[in-house]
Amino acid sequence: MSVIALTDVVKRYQTGHETVEALKDVDFRAERGEMVTIIGPSGSGKSTLLNMIGLLDTPTEGQIRLDGRDVTDFTEDELTEERRSEIGFVFQDFHLLPMLTATENVELPTMWDTSVDRHDRAVDLLHRVGLGDRLDHRPDQLSGGQRQRVAIARALINEPDILLADEPTGNLDQDTGRTILEELTRLKEDENIAIVSVTHDEQMIGYADRVVRLIDGEIQ
Amino acid sequence: MGITELLWRFPSAQMAWRNLGRNRIRTALASLGIVIGVISIASLGITGVAIQQQATSDLGSLTNEVTITSGEDSSTAGVTADQVDEVRNVASNVDVVPQYSDATTISSRNGQEENVSVIGLTQANVLYDVSAGESPERLQSGVLLTDSTANQLGIEIGDPIEYNGQMYRVRGLIESDQGFGGGGRGQLVVPESALSDRDNYDSVTIVTEDGDAATEIAAILRDHFNEETHNGEVDEELSITDYSDVQENINSFMNTLRLALLGIGSISLVVASVAILNVMLMSTIERRGEIGVLRAVGIRRGEVLRMILTEAAFLGAIGGLAGVLISLVIGLALFRVLAGDAMVVFEWESARYLVYGFLFAIGASVVSGLYPAWKAANDRPVEALRG
Repeated sequence: MSVIALTDVVKRYQTGHETVEALKDVDFRAERGEMVTIIGPSGSGKSTLLNMIGLLDTPTEGQIRLDGRDVTDFTEDELTEERRSEIGFVFQDFHLLPMLTATENVELPTMWDTSVDRHDRAVDLLHRVGLGDRLDHRPDQLSGGQRQRVAIARALINEPDILLADEPTGNLDQDTGRTILEELTRLKEDENIAIVSVTHDEQMIGYADRVVRLIDGEIQ
Repeated sequence: MGITELLWRFPSAQMAWRNLGRNRIRTALASLGIVIGVISIASLGITGVAIQQQATSDLGSLTNEVTITSGEDSSTAGVTADQVDEVRNVASNVDVVPQYSDATTISSRNGQEENVSVIGLTQANVLYDVSAGESPERLQSGVLLTDSTANQLGIEIGDPIEYNGQMYRVRGLIESDQGFGGGGRGQLVVPESALSDRDNYDSVTIVTEDGDAATEIAAILRDHFNEETHNGEVDEELSITDYSDVQENINSFMNTLRLALLGIGSISLVVASVAILNVMLMSTIERRGEIGVLRAVGIRRGEVLRMILTEAAFLGAIGGLAGVLISLVIGLALFRVLAGDAMVVFEWESARYLVYGFLFAIGASVVSGLYPAWKAANDRPVEALRG
């Protein structure tokens, strides 16, 4: 069973008097242990699609199933719970909180959950992404590549089924980008998760198990 | 690190504390408004208390007294010995001091003269506190004189004073400024025997425990002596005066004053909370993307709301605490000057304004934080992440 499945998804925006159709009848699915890369020109609807998969946005029409469950009509609070337990996010510009240490940033999604202590898992994840000696460093004391590793560790803290990456190498140089991609590939297998990424980066396509091309809101 | 470790148990508090630490100058400036607000409320409240305490202590010796003089409809001039006995019967357990009044001129050895009121009575100690010498329970011989008059004329304890052709020795000097009595003139207190040629007493003073007891006894005495005649008029045999009205007027004036002072103080706290609203709104708008990330990674709306409200509460608490400390210093100085005892500020009557100030500070800050917190928590993560 696909961990995430979008069926006939349509997304329309109202901008002024014009209605923009960002996604047109999109079918998309991803399996565990698979890295899917979505590519396409600017304005093709890549980000909208990623937001749908990440349960950050709801479709105008169509259906979204997460682990076989229909989550299309979930309320914002229910979607928050799903994101909390099933989905990890990695952003282009890392989005780490500047006042927290690396370990604290990784623990962030579980911070309000006082019933479980994820400190050990946070430290373990940082070790696994090669930042075992940077546990108490703040983001401004880390390089771009190191920050993105912290962000990846943060995305994995809740043992999600899906990791979504929005241009994960976009702000990194070629070499650093490659190490991040190798990291993601390894974690995909170790954690048995689906990784869905959006990119412009040609090098990233090489690491993908499957490439989805999106043009004008339609999958080619 | 101590405080952050404790806060780790309270994620909202932990995050709020860190967020405030990110821009210390802004945090300090936002708190400064609250500091000023709290100082206004607390120190103006305390000032009200200090003024009221001073006013009542000045009047204290007067408000527990009842004065009886001959009434409008009395057939005799003055208060008769029989009436005094009757008053003693009605008002038991209080000091009833009948007295004669007169006036005279005392001269010093060097010829300087001073007009004084003369009071003839026996229980001197009930009405007069002395700054030197003694105030006897039964004044049989000798006299008491107001100390300021004595100073002016160079009269000391043991010196002789002539009154009505007789010589008396000064036994005690009366403290000046006791109540309204005397009309600024000095008082010469002589034994009743010095005025024994009078038929009736000029007045009777009753001294009770406090203002309320005085009011009560005055009412009982009025009922007893001044019967209502059949045509509805009161037959006033004795004129009975107590000072409860004065006390009440002072109290109500003081309450008005205190409310006015608190009102002024509250305005500054309102201004302060507008400043907090502004700062919180700015800081949530600045951190919009960050809050979007929190929401994206599964932080609930309520948790974001709590975090921002806690930030506002912390601003209030920091400002409130500083404000309370400064107000305390002001209060200590104020009571030192007005009441002579700085520690009075710790009594609940005045200390409560410190508590009020602090609670108002937190309350106002949290109220100011409500809108920014609600706005941040309900921002759609997709929009927020876009920036």
